[in-house]
Amino acid sequence: MSSLDRLAARAVRPTGVLLAVAAPVWLWLVAQAPLDSVQGVVQKIVYVHPPCAFAAYLGFACTAVGGALYLWRRDDAWDRFAASSAEVGVLFCALVIATGPLWARGTWGRWWSWDLRLTLTLLLFLVYLSYLLLRSFTEGSERTARFAAVYGIAGLAIVPLNYLAIELAGGRSIHPENLQRGSLAAGMRAPFWFGVLTALIAFAHLLARRLEVSWLAERASREAAAGEEALPWGT
Amino acid sequence: MSGAAIEARGLARRFGPVVALHPLDLDVPAGRVLAVVGPNGAGKSTLIRLLAGLGRPSAGSVTIGDDGGDRRARRARVGLVAHETLLYPTLTARENLEFTGRLFAVPEPARRAAELLARFELGPVADRRVGGFSRGTAQRVAIARALVHEPALLLLDEPFSGLDARAAALLEALVRGLAGQRTVVFTSHDLERAARLADQGLLLVGGRGRALEASVLADPAALTAAIAPPPGAPA
Amino acid sequence: MRVLLAVLAKDLRVEWRSRDRLSAMGVFAVLVVVIFQFAAPPGSAPETRGHLPGLLWVAWVFSAVLGLNRSFALELENDAWAGLALAPAERGWIYLGKALASLALLGAVQLVSALAFALAFDVPLSAVALPLAAVAALGAVGVTAIGTLFAAVAARTQYREVMLPLLLLPLLVPVLLGAVRATAALLAGEPLPWPPVRLLLVTDAVFLILSFVCFEYVLDE
Repeated sequence: MSSLDRLAARAVRPTGVLLAVAAPVWLWLVAQAPLDSVQGVVQKIVYVHPPCAFAAYLGFACTAVGGALYLWRRDDAWDRFAASSAEVGVLFCALVIATGPLWARGTWGRWWSWDLRLTLTLLLFLVYLSYLLLRSFTEGSERTARFAAVYGIAGLAIVPLNYLAIELAGGRSIHPENLQRGSLAAGMRAPFWFGVLTALIAFAHLLARRLEVSWLAERASREAAAGEEALPWGT
Repeated sequence: MSGAAIEARGLARRFGPVVALHPLDLDVPAGRVLAVVGPNGAGKSTLIRLLAGLGRPSAGSVTIGDDGGDRRARRARVGLVAHETLLYPTLTARENLEFTGRLFAVPEPARRAAELLARFELGPVADRRVGGFSRGTAQRVAIARALVHEPALLLLDEPFSGLDARAAALLEALVRGLAGQRTVVFTSHDLERAARLADQGLLLVGGRGRALEASVLADPAALTAAIAPPPGAPA
Repeated sequence: MRVLLAVLAKDLRVEWRSRDRLSAMGVFAVLVVVIFQFAAPPGSAPETRGHLPGLLWVAWVFSAVLGLNRSFALELENDAWAGLALAPAERGWIYLGKALASLALLGAVQLVSALAFALAFDVPLSAVALPLAAVAALGAVGVTAIGTLFAAVAARTQYREVMLPLLLLPLLVPVLLGAVRATAALLAGEPLPWPPVRLLLVTDAVFLILSFVCFEYVLDE
């Protein structure tokens, strides 16, 4: 059992508890948050959409870094970390892609626009999907780990390039102004940042759980294979 | 040239949960001929390919001559004749050999290719495309290919399979001729031939290896006794 | 490096013997151009014609994917792959040799299909021939650089022909956006804009370095 697996196993309960505490608090904060004068209640998606985006990008960074660490250290645990991170990250990414149009439709009346950040996240989603497909369709766990690691690194390298590319293509930013510059009204900042924190806790918890499951699955198949080992001639 | 000694310690290869080769210790002095025997799926090809430096071992180490355990240095000292010919069918025998020469940074590839073509009596077919060759002829080119860079260790994976009696006899003569100048490792199903050609033997069953005297290989009773699991090992 | 030249020469020679990659890619690219002719015939609205640079690049990218798939299919026969993997050379050079071979083939296809494109859509290319060639080359480098790496990956998965476009297309977005933008500007009679060219240069550099380093891990068993 690698040290990474030990860490995951020990992290499951604390992160679960944190999440169980944070989620209701977050919901309460969101309900309490003032209504936006222009957008109305639809604006409350801001407490879901960007926090999930944080988790989605973090997820892919973990996938790429996990892959690179696997190539360096050749420890299976890093490959399982990368795979688990991709599975959890793609969920958050899907949430971002799903809530984006909901928000856009509610505010500007259009389902989609080739806006910079949303397009970037959509491209990330596509890379995630290709990564997961590559893992499914490669035979041999060591080969899968190597190939996936290389693809993960390439996928991460793409993110800044895509940002430049979409900006170049005139990705119209009808996205609300950069939130970090404090353009959120006073009553909205707490639920927003708390939302980001909650999303990250959720990500960590799901990742720890998924990693634990992957370790158990690996151990089970190893024991099964040992049990079935070919018997010598004549036996 | 006297060949390179092989030293393996705890050499193992796992494919996911399946252990193809359990930790193996192996010592082959320079210039000796080692026969690796065992049933299908016992791990013979896996061992050969590990010795060739084609994949990373899951555990343990192997040193060929003075390569210091480095895989790239090992590849310079090893020649592999695999089950597939490793040749490009649309290129001629000469072109295949010259390409391999350049790939392995041989000083004068064209001259070396001509030398090998002469030595293996491939003159008449030297400038014909390999795709049309018979198994025996193609294998001669494959062996020439393995020898282009004058490796200190020659590995042959099931070289006698599919050969007619005459071709097999020629190959035996070749192996005998190379012994002393190079270390040779070959795998075979034919125990009698293995006993005839080899200086020492390795019996692989279910991925576990047992070193044997070459003479034992042709003795059925001694062989059956050798297959029985040692006391304490799982049955 | 001699290894690079050896691999390049070998790939081109094998291709010359059968000419199957070149013909498949060439016919495909020209076919696409011809079919697009129906989507935007001469005399159609300027907005439709504005999509032409994109169409041209789509044709080139899919043609490149076709060629890249075959570039590694030839290595799988007789496990010639292992022959490459056994070489003590730095594997990045093998990668570059194969990438250059694919680049040469793609370049030839680009040339032929660009002429077909000019004829079919009545687009005057002679005025912008040189800058257009530069853009075509930069884009082609990006495609073949990352494409060669992942063609090697895709060739050893199940569904190999389908795997390559799946893997490659999301990664090609920066190349496509830069190349199409630059091509569109040139075809509209504007001078060659710097930002897309800069994007292409950066992307090409990133792809080449990444692939050179990672090929080591891809060539293993």
